Amino acid sequence: MSLLGGGIFKGMAVTLRNFVGSYFNKERLVTNDYAWRPKEDAELPQSAGEYPKEEGEQLSDTTTVTNYSRNFPMLLHDGKDGDTPMDTIRCVACQICERECPPQCIYIEKMYDENGKYIKSPAKFDIDVSVCMSCQICVEVCPFDAIVMNSQFELSTPDRFGGLLLRRDDLLKSNDYYHQIHPEEAAARDQRMADEKAAKEAKKKAAAEAAKKKAAEKAKAEAEAKAKEAEAAQAEGAEEKSEPEGGDSKEATE
Amino acid sequence: MSWELIRDILITTVPLLVIFPSLFAFTTWIERKALARIQNRIGPNKTGVPCTRISLFGLGQPAADGIKMLFKEDIVPKGADRLFHLLAPIVALIPAMLVLCFLPLEFPWAKFVQAPVQAFLLDGAVIFFFAITGLNTLAVFMAGWASRNKYSLLGGMRAIAQMVSYEIPLVLSAVVAVMAAGSLNAAELVESQKTFWFVFTPWGFAAFVIFFIAALAETNRSPFDLPEAESELIAGYFTEYSGFKFALFFLGEYIAMFAISGLAVVLFLGGGHLPFLPLENAWLSSAVFLTKIMGIIAVMIWLRGTLPRLRVDQLMAFAWKFLLPLSILNIFITGASIKLMATSTTYAQPGMFGKLIQDANLPTLALLWLGGIAILYGAAWWLDNLSRPTARPRQYQYAE
Repeated sequence: MSLLGGGIFKGMAVTLRNFVGSYFNKERLVTNDYAWRPKEDAELPQSAGEYPKEEGEQLSDTTTVTNYSRNFPMLLHDGKDGDTPMDTIRCVACQICERECPPQCIYIEKMYDENGKYIKSPAKFDIDVSVCMSCQICVEVCPFDAIVMNSQFELSTPDRFGGLLLRRDDLLKSNDYYHQIHPEEAAARDQRMADEKAAKEAKKKAAAEAAKKKAAEKAKAEAEAKAKEAEAAQAEGAEEKSEPEGGDSKEATE
Repeated sequence: MSWELIRDILITTVPLLVIFPSLFAFTTWIERKALARIQNRIGPNKTGVPCTRISLFGLGQPAADGIKMLFKEDIVPKGADRLFHLLAPIVALIPAMLVLCFLPLEFPWAKFVQAPVQAFLLDGAVIFFFAITGLNTLAVFMAGWASRNKYSLLGGMRAIAQMVSYEIPLVLSAVVAVMAAGSLNAAELVESQKTFWFVFTPWGFAAFVIFFIAALAETNRSPFDLPEAESELIAGYFTEYSGFKFALFFLGEYIAMFAISGLAVVLFLGGGHLPFLPLENAWLSSAVFLTKIMGIIAVMIWLRGTLPRLRVDQLMAFAWKFLLPLSILNIFITGASIKLMATSTTYAQPGMFGKLIQDANLPTLALLWLGGIAILYGAAWWLDNLSRPTARPRQYQYAE
């Protein structure tokens, strides 16, 4: 027989432990920046206090959040930070993510050249982060590894409508940046992409070889067939020659 | 009206109007800080003295909140009943403020001008308290109805069901203290607990626990905050309130908390006296009284950080099937105990409870204490078992 209402006291003990513990153990304060950092990570200040430390200070995203933090999507390009990102953008404006997005916060327009030909990149790629629910489905469905999750959280803005609508150029980040914020995930993704590419190439090579072989075989077969045909034609020709003769003879007999 | 009367009124009421609203501001800060710490956060700690970098642990936050509330736009929804929409927060605040007058707070400065030491001396203080706080239900329903919003109305309906249900165990448990003290007067209730608080008796303790639980429900505090359940009803009956009307509701709610905690202190926790140690100094006993109120508020905050919200049916079942029978049984046990203790005629006049305890012989006391604890705990356990679901656990056909 347990104590009547004992569960309440158990719960109160838990909250009391948290209440008292948060005054003595800084590592409990997970909402403080750096508080989660392991002790041996000497490069970063330990339990430096609350955010922001100075008025108007912005903390760079790469140093303040964990590798597993993810907030809103970003677009990847393979160039360096200084390059024009549109040259190496991975997105081909296939609009799969736009269709899959549950809150419909992605808007994509395809890019066309002067002749009206579709060049595989987005002319517009907007994400309304006030609508985005950070579900990461766009990342899951993207076949080109073009959209991944960013961990940037300093998105507050005095502009309620335009400020929260991220344009294509706001969303574009280099693969190096991705490696910085999510090293494990980025490495795994790169590895998988490389593997896929290699497999594709191998397959292509195999296909090409097979095609070559097939072509050779076909050529051989064709040559054989031709030879056969020629023979047959010769034989036929002979028969044909003989037939009318026969016919003639039949006619003649009639 | 003579000027002495005006002076007396001011001297007795102005302190109440100063102490409790400022205590309210302080309590909101404490609540935010404590809840934050319970959730391993820090809570407000930036707002301090304006235009400086002095933060004072965020003590400027209540003032900033108040100023913000004052400057916010007051929105009345289209189609709302404007008159009752305006009246509701006022009706919520006034009874809460009014009952503060009955608390036996002794204002030390009153003695210098020969004014009454208590704002309002009334023989039926406890009855008056419940009569006045009952008006709070009206305000809640006014707000819910006048807002013309289904969430407000649902919140109002829930609030009324809850308040009406929990008023009964609240009053019945207060009856226990009234029986023991033999008086409804707040000052005499405190006087009879001068040496021995009612909460130290088994039935007094049970009554205090029931009173506290019912008080939580009566003031819409977690875990009984169904009328304003954020996840279900946005903000319940004050969904459509903004600006200073919202602040008034908020203030009214906290003042009601102070009032009901004050009543709990008067009824069970010996008013302005320390345990087994009567205090005669008015300054000291007022400070002790306010400290006790804040202690009860602190437990309320602690519970808010701990317990999840009840379901509506659980809430009703708990009031009617558990608290009500237990508080009725408690009245009988109290009556029996007092009857058995009263060996002499000393119990004829009110305020003699301490003497009664002193006069009673030890075996009787031991018997009463052990018997009281056994009966009350047994009854509570039995009622708890009765209200548990008897059906076998659900068998799932397809899910594991």
